[in-house]
Amino acid sequence: MIPVIGLLVGIAAGLFLDPSVPVALQPYLPIAVVAALDAVFGALRAYLDGIFDDKVFVISFVSNVVIAALIVYLGDQLGVGGQLSTGVIVVLGIRIFSNVAAIRRHVFHA
Amino acid sequence: MAGAQAPDGYSARRPPLIRVQRDKGGPVIDNQMPRATAPPSDVLRRLLEDAVDDDYSAASRNDRQLGRPALQRPTAAAIVVVVAFGLLVGIAAGQARSGAPQEARERSALFDRIETRQDTIAALTSRSEELRLQILGMQGSATEGNQRAEDLLAGLTTARTLTGAATVVGPGVEITADDAPRGQSGPEGKVLDVDLQVLVNGLWQAGAEAVAINGNRLSPLSAIRTAGRAITVNYRSLSPPYIIEAIGDPQTLQARFIETPGGQAWLDLATNFGLRFESDSADSLTLAPAPAPRLLIRYAQRQGELP
Repeated sequence: MIPVIGLLVGIAAGLFLDPSVPVALQPYLPIAVVAALDAVFGALRAYLDGIFDDKVFVISFVSNVVIAALIVYLGDQLGVGGQLSTGVIVVLGIRIFSNVAAIRRHVFHA
Repeated sequence: MAGAQAPDGYSARRPPLIRVQRDKGGPVIDNQMPRATAPPSDVLRRLLEDAVDDDYSAASRNDRQLGRPALQRPTAAAIVVVVAFGLLVGIAAGQARSGAPQEARERSALFDRIETRQDTIAALTSRSEELRLQILGMQGSATEGNQRAEDLLAGLTTARTLTGAATVVGPGVEITADDAPRGQSGPEGKVLDVDLQVLVNGLWQAGAEAVAINGNRLSPLSAIRTAGRAITVNYRSLSPPYIIEAIGDPQTLQARFIETPGGQAWLDLATNFGLRFESDSADSLTLAPAPAPRLLIRYAQRQGELP
């Protein structure tokens, strides 16, 4: 319950306060969101599996976001930013899908 | 190994090298194959199975070893991260929402600028046409009754016609030249720049007064040459079929052309290499002027009086 409220508070704050993101960081925001989604769904699956660990969650969230942004930043510097972000999104997308499938199996037993 | 019956039914297709244990702690992949030698399909499968960070199962194993109960309630740190996640999603959504109208605004501004410029171009073009007619009228009225000026104007008209600076109308011939039909001959079945050169040379020899290839009027400065894979006239690339229009005596031009070396060369090309070569007389041809850069003289200077 508390995490859900926290999530809603965060979304509301992001939407209504509309903090300005530095222009240099703007290209990395979408990829950071996808990386964060992966960490969050992984955590949700672990929670349903009964093996959730807050330390692992915090560290995996931060490292996911930072590493995804770093890979894309590196790609931008090398001139292959577009291809690398596609790669990152494909890998994270597969992980998100299989995590959501596991969550679905837990919730609906199907 | 055979006892590893996963409830999802995927295990039947799993290669025997990956053993899957399902315990309370979720999938723990017991990897006996070195990662580097794994075939690509295994890499994909592992990606699917490793979706939950191994850290969670590792951490839960540690907890069980230390006798700690598995944590079920999220702590403050986890909530902070969840709030941060929400913030991230919210900011991204806000960015996407505020970014879209910005792009639309920029695009419509660009469209407006394009339209304004197009209007300007249209206005300037009609103004230029208007002024050209005005000049012609003034030339006519200014030279009236003045023999010298009338002579000059006539000379100017001739010069402009000859050099390809003016549109000309008249009878003549229309010649269609094209590559041999595809597959009928090899590389020698293509029209080359030299072929068009001898053709045009033959037309001049036969008495042509103005010549255009595919609508490109030949001026004294025009070259017919190959650039890359295409033949270029007046710096414009042509593509076959090549239609050569020549203004001249409709009675004799065609017959005299066939007599010239150029005409003979083309008859030869048509018989021996299958190149298409058709010649028709035309009652009225209209040849547009050559582009301005092909009429520009920078070094040659006139010497002596005008004729």
